[in-house]
Amino acid sequence: MSNTGTTTETAAPELVPAPPQVPEVTPPVPQEHPNEAPHLLPVTPQPGSALYRQALPGVMQVPADLVLAAARKSSLWPMTFGLACCAIEMIGTYMAHYDLDRFGIVPWPSPRQSDVMIVAGTVTKKMAPAVKLLYEQMPNPKWVISMGACATNGGPYTRYDRVLQGVDKVVPVDVYVPGCPPRPEALIDSFLALQDMIMEERSSEGRGA
Amino acid sequence: MSTDDNAAGTAEEAQVEVVDTFDDTIWDTVNRTLRAVDVRPERSALDLIIHIPRADIIRGLRMLKQDADLQFNYLRCLTAVDNESDGIDVVYQLYSVPKNINLTVKTTLPNENKVIETATTVWKAANWLERETAEMFGVSFSGHPDPRPLLMPEDIDMSDTYPLLKSHPFAEIDVLQGEILGHDRDAEGEG
Amino acid sequence: MVVDTSATEFETQDLLLNVGPQHPSTHGVFRMVLEIDGEVVKDLVPYIGYLHRGAEKLCENNDFRQGIGYMDRTEYLAAHNAELSYVMAVEALAEIEVPERAQWIRMILCELNRISSHFMFLGAFGVDVGVFGTPFIYGWRERERIIDLFEEISGDRMMFAYFRAGGLAWEVPLNFPERVREVLESARQGVKDFDGLLTQNEIFIARTKNVGVITADDAIEMGMSGPTIRASGVPLDLRKTEPYLQYDQIEFETITADGGDVFDRYLVRLQEISQSIDLIEQCLERLEDGPIMPEKMPRMLRLPEGEVYIRTEAPRGEYGIYMVSKGGNKPHRLKVRSACLSNLQALKQMCVGQYVADAIIVLGSIDIVLSEVDR
Repeated sequence: MSNTGTTTETAAPELVPAPPQVPEVTPPVPQEHPNEAPHLLPVTPQPGSALYRQALPGVMQVPADLVLAAARKSSLWPMTFGLACCAIEMIGTYMAHYDLDRFGIVPWPSPRQSDVMIVAGTVTKKMAPAVKLLYEQMPNPKWVISMGACATNGGPYTRYDRVLQGVDKVVPVDVYVPGCPPRPEALIDSFLALQDMIMEERSSEGRGA
Repeated sequence: MSTDDNAAGTAEEAQVEVVDTFDDTIWDTVNRTLRAVDVRPERSALDLIIHIPRADIIRGLRMLKQDADLQFNYLRCLTAVDNESDGIDVVYQLYSVPKNINLTVKTTLPNENKVIETATTVWKAANWLERETAEMFGVSFSGHPDPRPLLMPEDIDMSDTYPLLKSHPFAEIDVLQGEILGHDRDAEGEG
Repeated sequence: MVVDTSATEFETQDLLLNVGPQHPSTHGVFRMVLEIDGEVVKDLVPYIGYLHRGAEKLCENNDFRQGIGYMDRTEYLAAHNAELSYVMAVEALAEIEVPERAQWIRMILCELNRISSHFMFLGAFGVDVGVFGTPFIYGWRERERIIDLFEEISGDRMMFAYFRAGGLAWEVPLNFPERVREVLESARQGVKDFDGLLTQNEIFIARTKNVGVITADDAIEMGMSGPTIRASGVPLDLRKTEPYLQYDQIEFETITADGGDVFDRYLVRLQEISQSIDLIEQCLERLEDGPIMPEKMPRMLRLPEGEVYIRTEAPRGEYGIYMVSKGGNKPHRLKVRSACLSNLQALKQMCVGQYVADAIIVLGSIDIVLSEVDR
């Protein structure tokens, strides 16, 4: 991540103001990927380092936050990550009967261009590294919806030792949807709750915003 | 017509021992085909079950497949049952497509020596089924072309536990209901 | 078609392509590693087990009513067929006689589930072939109508838990025959839509003819079942060869095709939807009033010792339940014989020598449901 230092030469010191002071930030190298190529290391979010926050003076940040949060919540693109039976209900929610496209929610297969990861189904210990990798491949800001009982805490399969008891053991989760499988209306409700959450937290500086 | 006695020959007065002759099944043909092998019949709720000792199992299965009257060319299912101290039963469900007949074949392995010859030389369908049985019960199929685990995670070190054995425990639940919400289980007794 | 790449002019190296556990074809978490030379598949190694949840182990700890819920979840697109095998196994071991009205209603629900599962296949398969969007929406339109009917009957859209050992959980609603006929009317229209969109479509035919061929002998050797083996010409339909419920009292023909390629598998499934509509009409004519559970049914079933292997014709093939009971109210061993696992073994044979895009279509045409493969 590059930083801009202060410039030392100006033509006429009174006419050209000095550029704003920006603190130098270098992300720490995560210890769990010692052999990973540097351009593939996940970016650790630093609060308050988004470019618009650096460039705008303080009074303009509040409406900027509002506009950006409204834009983000109105076009959440989930990554299609159906694992098990909940995936069928998720697909049913995308289809014409319980349309999710009217909320701006378009399923997108690639993690690099999506905002939300809907973990729909049981996460087994064999699948957990893949879930973690996909979460890290998503760019900030990102959210996770844990759909169904299996992703919440293991569900009906929680007493089998090859099943991860909840996806929140590997990724941080924002919204939990109960049900086995949850009805499409429940999934729509979870997206609305996520949208409210995005609007409420617009001015906080978490999640690399 | 060969008959087969189920009961020992004790003579109780006024007690009729039911002798199951398996006449309404394919037992006669099967017995004739497997005359070189030591076979014992039994009934399940639907089909005929035959028990073959471990040493002759593949020979018996091959004879069942190649016999012109039986032609069991379709392996439906291959699995194992853990009988704890009595050993492990390996069960084969066979079906004949031209003759439309069913047969269940069982063999028993002792717990100390869970090795059996592979059935992939008889039917190719046994490939994945044996891999799954091997990783679930710890049975080793000698001569299998590809003895890797099928359903278990490869990198996580769980390769010495076999989930479907009766001695394998169920997982404990990490977070019980109400724990995060602040219910104090000790104060309320059994929450 | 098989492509011969032996006479090339330059030095090339084979590429290992990982079609990973997350990919857009909505078949679930399946991974295959393709070794490709240009675009031609040289070798294919499938990796499964990403959804292995241990239904067999968990059912040993749950009694004969709780197990029905686990069977629903092993085959979530055809849950009635999965429940049917399980309750038939319990009934066979306990020697329970199921009343006739329950048999007919079970048949109607299983055939409706077959229709909805095949519509889901047609939708997802259309997306795999490249007709992105339209078949999926058509398929789901029909599926939603059928699922609405299931919700009126059992209360759930996908995991019904409606069959019980001995019959059904509760009586169907009073307007059941009329509702079923409405659903069948819309299903007929759905079949016509798919037929018009895909069957005569030249691009579809060019993509699917002579792709992924498996001969009848190979299919029997690999233990395949269901529409996948019937498309290779083997007339193996468990409803005809080993009839269960009341299938021996209604008339229908086994649908086969003789090519064994992807197009034939699609065609067999499309025709099976029409056949199921016809079967349901015949069942509705024979449906009469009566009880749905035998009298004196104990709430907690204790089965005698014994074992049984029940096999029924699920939409994907032979779904078998091998149950061993040693007394008590829980099974000692429950083995689910899954059709998709046996069908998936032949994937390598069907894909080697074809293009990468054909490998995706062949995988789609086997119609796998990962939770049945991995249980």
